[in-house]
Amino acid sequence: MNRFISLIKTDLNNTFGFSYLIYNFKKKKYIWQPIVAFLAILSFIPTYIVSVKFLRDIYHVYSGIGQSSYFLQTGIILSQILVFLLGIIYVMSKYYFANDLEQLVPLPIKPSYIIGSKFVTLMISEYITTLPLILPFIFIYGRNTRVNILYWIYSILIILLIPILPLIIVSIIVMAFMKYTNIKGRKDLFRVISGIFFIGIIIYIQIILQNYAQRAITDGSEFYINLISDSNFLVKKMGQIFPPGMWATLSLVNHGNIMGIAYLLLFLLVSLLGYFIMLLLSESLFYGGLIGNTEVRTSRGREKRNIRAIKSTKVSKPYIALAKKETLILIRTPIYLINSVLGSVIVPIIGFVSIYSNDVFMTSFKEILNMYPQYVVLASIGIIVFQGIANSVGSTTFSREGKNFWIQRTLPITVKDQIIGRILAALFPQLIALLSLLIVESFIISLSIIDIFLIIFIGLLGSISMAEIGMIIDILKPLLIWDNPQRAMKQNLNVLISLGIGSLYILILGYLVIKLIGKVNINYIYILLSTVFIITSIILFMSLRKLIKRQFENIE
Amino acid sequence: MLIINNLSKSYDNSNIKAVDNINLTIKPGEIFGFLGPNGAGKTTTIKMIVGLLKPDGGRISLSGIDIWENPLDAKSKISYVPDNPEVYDKLKGMEYLNFIADMYGISKELRLGKIKYYTELFKINDVLGDTIGSYSHGMKQKIVLTSALLNEPELFILDEPMVGLDPKSTYNLKEIMRKMCDEGSIVFFSTHVLEVAEKLCDRIAIINKGKIITIGTMEELRAHAKERESLENIFLELTE
Repeated sequence: MNRFISLIKTDLNNTFGFSYLIYNFKKKKYIWQPIVAFLAILSFIPTYIVSVKFLRDIYHVYSGIGQSSYFLQTGIILSQILVFLLGIIYVMSKYYFANDLEQLVPLPIKPSYIIGSKFVTLMISEYITTLPLILPFIFIYGRNTRVNILYWIYSILIILLIPILPLIIVSIIVMAFMKYTNIKGRKDLFRVISGIFFIGIIIYIQIILQNYAQRAITDGSEFYINLISDSNFLVKKMGQIFPPGMWATLSLVNHGNIMGIAYLLLFLLVSLLGYFIMLLLSESLFYGGLIGNTEVRTSRGREKRNIRAIKSTKVSKPYIALAKKETLILIRTPIYLINSVLGSVIVPIIGFVSIYSNDVFMTSFKEILNMYPQYVVLASIGIIVFQGIANSVGSTTFSREGKNFWIQRTLPITVKDQIIGRILAALFPQLIALLSLLIVESFIISLSIIDIFLIIFIGLLGSISMAEIGMIIDILKPLLIWDNPQRAMKQNLNVLISLGIGSLYILILGYLVIKLIGKVNINYIYILLSTVFIITSIILFMSLRKLIKRQFENIE
Repeated sequence: MLIINNLSKSYDNSNIKAVDNINLTIKPGEIFGFLGPNGAGKTTTIKMIVGLLKPDGGRISLSGIDIWENPLDAKSKISYVPDNPEVYDKLKGMEYLNFIADMYGISKELRLGKIKYYTELFKINDVLGDTIGSYSHGMKQKIVLTSALLNEPELFILDEPMVGLDPKSTYNLKEIMRKMCDEGSIVFFSTHVLEVAEKLCDRIAIINKGKIITIGTMEELRAHAKERESLENIFLELTE
């Protein structure tokens, strides 16, 4: 047990860098960092307030039909889905691609100890993502329903327990997945492809379940009677799909009576049981996927590859060479690929599938869109520009260099080339995002060539500013010390700060556009947007030049 | 000519100087060995020369170009091999070499000729199509060495270059260093292997606690020491 606790402590320290933080604090270095983090969080507040207000309205809809408990359940299930989806990437990189594994595996400890301790760290990371989501649900319900102190105590316990079951399910799936895909050869490629396939299946299953739930709930003549007679009717129906979500909800709803504690205990026991099952399975699954994981292709065909490599030699301008290098690394590092490229592919597809699976909605939606294609153009530009900051390529461009940063700083490459090369690399995932968005849209609405051109042109212009915003934030304090590429992209404060600033910028522009729609000719809006993007890009480019020069000299 | 004037550096605004007011003048065609115990300030000095650490005070110039005032001009004349060969694991060997060659603006013919020559010499020519992540520590070091040799540098600066290299490659590297000096370049390297320094270097400086405690040819060093035998004895005596 001591070993296990020691593993957890070390892993927590390693992941969140406590020793490093304390060291910096003592040395009075980077004290401004928490201030910047605080400002970054502040930049999200406008968007957050709007969402919370929206949630409050939803609560009143549910409470209007006497099903306010369903509101709580929605929050819990959404949090669990979020944990599950993020967990796929987290688990993959933490269990299989972290550098500490090279030190852990040779130690005389069981695989289940490694998984068990890493699981705890992951869970804590998940709280950071679930808290902002679940808290409004808990508070809105608590303030609008008569609750006592027990409700708040149960809430804390439930919040702590929420990530466990989804993470266990992800862990088991990923461990099995890694074990059976651990085949010699093009492992990375194989895994990325099967990963996409896997995510596709999950989305598909989710949609099926959604439809099933909708039908199950509304089917039959007793629906309205049940709705009136049982205030937890919707919760129970939904619980047929994933009971733990229901137990958590019913425990909170019944906090005043014995059932509350019973459901809480049930939720706790099943979570613990799941944890032990996962540990048991890890004994046979974990090493099977891990050992030989970093092995690269054998020397078979090496000669051919060498000849190909040498023949492919092409002299490039420095910024092109830099963009090429950035893109190659982006494509070849699964974590980067999943975060920056797959996101932009999957989001439009999810949107499409969920719209398409609903016939009635689809037909009316199509009609509306075809009547106002200019709104589709504006919305698409918005989506693409948002992807420009959300893909986190710009905001991690220097952080991703990590220990290799010395190469950039000792090479005779101009600051201008640095900026252009990195912007080009940030536009690469944008091209894929554009392609996937346009394909999806072509199923729903027929866009003219000019519309398509506008989306591509203005979308990319806006993406340049987004990449530059990210680069400015990143160069101010690049995260260069990391042992796992996941940290450069997912646990990087620069991503969050850039996302906050970028969203604010888009929000302001979006507000402006909405105010102008109908008042001026749509073409003026396109011209206005292009002009704003060009001016922003130039201003940001100039500030980047100064900043990069200064930081390349001063970073130690 | 590499001229270092009154170079100083302390970390974290503390008063302890990692490098304390050092002065060096190294002529073209010289192999210069930089010796000292762990934490003496060798790597700090080297990092300041290549532009990785900003000095608190002092000047560094190469062929009359101030390294911190005209970094781009200076960097195009310098090739640097760090003590730890951290390079892009996801690039193939050949891709990395081409990337570096593009940064220095080296023509296709010239780069292919050099790549062929050095990778065959270091016996890494058959792994150029593999990603660097699959290389051993020594192979990574060799790819960094090769990349540093693509450019024809006026200053070839290496931090502990022999660590991790096999004997044959160490021998080859020494030959390359000698040849570069014959062609008029400056070779500046730090090392713990006193034997190499003794045999290879035209001049040696020993640094301890940030200060240069002695500098000169092997003969001059011997003349100053009580036990006039090996560099090892001189080193131990001076750095006590």
